[in-house]
Amino acid sequence: MRKSIIAAVAGSFFAVGMAQAEETTIRVHYAHPNIFSKIQEKLAVAFEAEHPEIKLDFDAPAESYETGVQSLLRDAVANKLPDVAFAGLSTWRILEARGLTVPLDEFIGDEAAFEAQGYTPALRSLGQYNGKQHALAVAASTLVVYANPELVERAGGDMDNFPTDFDGLIELSAKINELDRRIEGAWVSPHDWRFQSFLGSFGGRPLNADETKVTFDSEAGIAAATVYSRLAEEGGMQFYEDSVARQAFNAGTLGLYIDSSSLMARVIEGAGDRFEVSVQPFPIAAEDKASVYLPTGGSGMVMLTEDKAKQDAVWKYMQFVSGPKGAKIIVENSGYAPTNSLVVEDESYLGDFYKSNAGARVAHAQVANYAGPWYAFPGDEGVAVTDVILAGLIEVIEGEDPEEIIKDVAAEVRDSLELN
Amino acid sequence: MATVTTPMLPRRVHNALTDLALVGPATLAMLCLIFVPAVLVAVLSFTDYQFGAKAFNWIGLENYVELFTDRTGKRAVFNTLYYAAIVIPCSMILSLLVAMGVHQVASWNKTCANIFRTSFFLPVAATLVAMATVWEMLLHPTLGLVNIVLDMIGIGGERWLSDRKLVLTTLAAIGVWETVGYNMVLFLAGLASIPRHLYEAAEIDGADRGWERFWTVTWPMLGPTTLFVMVITATRSFRVFETVATLTKGGPAFASDTLVYAMYREGFIYFKAGYASAITMVFFIFVFALTMLKVVVAERKVHYR
Repeated sequence: MRKSIIAAVAGSFFAVGMAQAEETTIRVHYAHPNIFSKIQEKLAVAFEAEHPEIKLDFDAPAESYETGVQSLLRDAVANKLPDVAFAGLSTWRILEARGLTVPLDEFIGDEAAFEAQGYTPALRSLGQYNGKQHALAVAASTLVVYANPELVERAGGDMDNFPTDFDGLIELSAKINELDRRIEGAWVSPHDWRFQSFLGSFGGRPLNADETKVTFDSEAGIAAATVYSRLAEEGGMQFYEDSVARQAFNAGTLGLYIDSSSLMARVIEGAGDRFEVSVQPFPIAAEDKASVYLPTGGSGMVMLTEDKAKQDAVWKYMQFVSGPKGAKIIVENSGYAPTNSLVVEDESYLGDFYKSNAGARVAHAQVANYAGPWYAFPGDEGVAVTDVILAGLIEVIEGEDPEEIIKDVAAEVRDSLELN
Repeated sequence: MATVTTPMLPRRVHNALTDLALVGPATLAMLCLIFVPAVLVAVLSFTDYQFGAKAFNWIGLENYVELFTDRTGKRAVFNTLYYAAIVIPCSMILSLLVAMGVHQVASWNKTCANIFRTSFFLPVAATLVAMATVWEMLLHPTLGLVNIVLDMIGIGGERWLSDRKLVLTTLAAIGVWETVGYNMVLFLAGLASIPRHLYEAAEIDGADRGWERFWTVTWPMLGPTTLFVMVITATRSFRVFETVATLTKGGPAFASDTLVYAMYREGFIYFKAGYASAITMVFFIFVFALTMLKVVVAERKVHYR
């Protein structure tokens, strides 16, 4: 009798042990809970239903990509890195530079087969550096123009004939600005990412391809800075913090708000019943459309674990999130564009969604046509120089000569990055 | 009796051990949590360590040279001094006035004085970050109450937090608002401790008007309190951070970059831990020297009862 009890107990322990051996738990880090917490929940439920052998364990989310990278670096110092992380498309290179990311090429295997699963070269480029795939993009956004149709029409503009070039946009901004002392025309932030979008629209690049030369003081760069200068001088634009501009747009006192398409859901919600937000494409200025790129913000996944069994589980998770099923969840719950081409090509995934969200289609088409990497400047001063560029553009908005400032700023950036 | 309890140890040793047991743990905690990290920061300030990196190089005084020669570094030092130069005198004068007012009111209506005291103290008790959001709404260039009111009386509004020439002054004004309540409480305590008979004596000697009473009795008697308030306000204004971080992020174009914000920016946004450590050391020496100078020099000249 006693023996059989012992055997039963031992047997049950053994069974528990077996179950644990089959089940892998992976720790997941993500940022921006205001955008992603609901999405992560839905992704986790769908993923665990498909892969019951893998359990997800979420770290407390970081407030922003920047604080997220900070906490990952702290974890790295303490040897407590999570197994997989969602990083900003401009911040994963900080992790790569410290050797924390596991290159994914080995897992991808055959590139042609991978491409057939919807991973186009343009979208793969968002996570590549030096010929290696370090991150898989899962959500993409570019700069779009949010317009208040009531103000546009009051100023004599036509929503059906919305300007598609910068000249038209500046003119429209000026007209709206004239309406009333408390109403303003257009606003766009001079922050790094926004400036790179103007630059890319003119066909310019911040750096050359092998990142050895600073090139944003090219003709395209001067043209981009000149748009800022003209928006201020002719269009009546003034410098404000982002939140200030968004409040003004929500309240209906700002006509054209130019910002990331990832904010779409929040902008539409913010305007509420006051007016119907119209989403317009960002003007493309270059003659040669092939030279154009719009730096893409958003989120990408990086693998951090060194453990072989966990790596396999993480890879399954990454494939799920970046695949069509994950993309559908992300797109439907945010303003992000999908990073998987299958989900766009196959109407069965998002057809209904597009019918009720016309603005989303504008943003997604822009990503599909012009997505390019958000350049992160290399080296120790990489983040610091973006603030130098920002400071220069604020001076341009306040009336300084764009050509002079952009050349000064480029010289300063060359010095800091030691790329003379 | 005493000889029975400690047959092994002489009394002096026993007492010393008791002292050690009482002081030891706290001292050890202070060493581990304050002194050792401070020394580590000092060591890091001579390196080019990047947050999260696996290795670093010794670069001597380069970080310090950069802080005092680089445009952004110099600006952070200047901005901090400018901010302190507004906040320290304004906050002290205002809080003294408020304290004297509340003290007077208390002599004829206690409830009324309590209401005043509570409302002036409210900014101290409230979370500054939450309050900063309120300020952001009040100061909004087109929708904010401040500009709407200015507009109604015919004065054009300003871009309080987005104009490079104005932003530091705006932040300093918020800094004054934030510290007045705290300083008021300190001054009130000082005022309450002034013995009534001194005023009576002053009156007999002919100092019977408010102004004379203030200069002959109140002000000298408040000497120690004033010194304390000055030290507290100075250190508080040198470490201004929350309002900068929530309202302007040091901008526009570094116009409101202060020492502590620069420390955060360099260390946690740019990941330049070595350079951020150098800023920390400079800030530390700054506040320490200032405090010592005031305590040592001013204490001799302060009137004590």
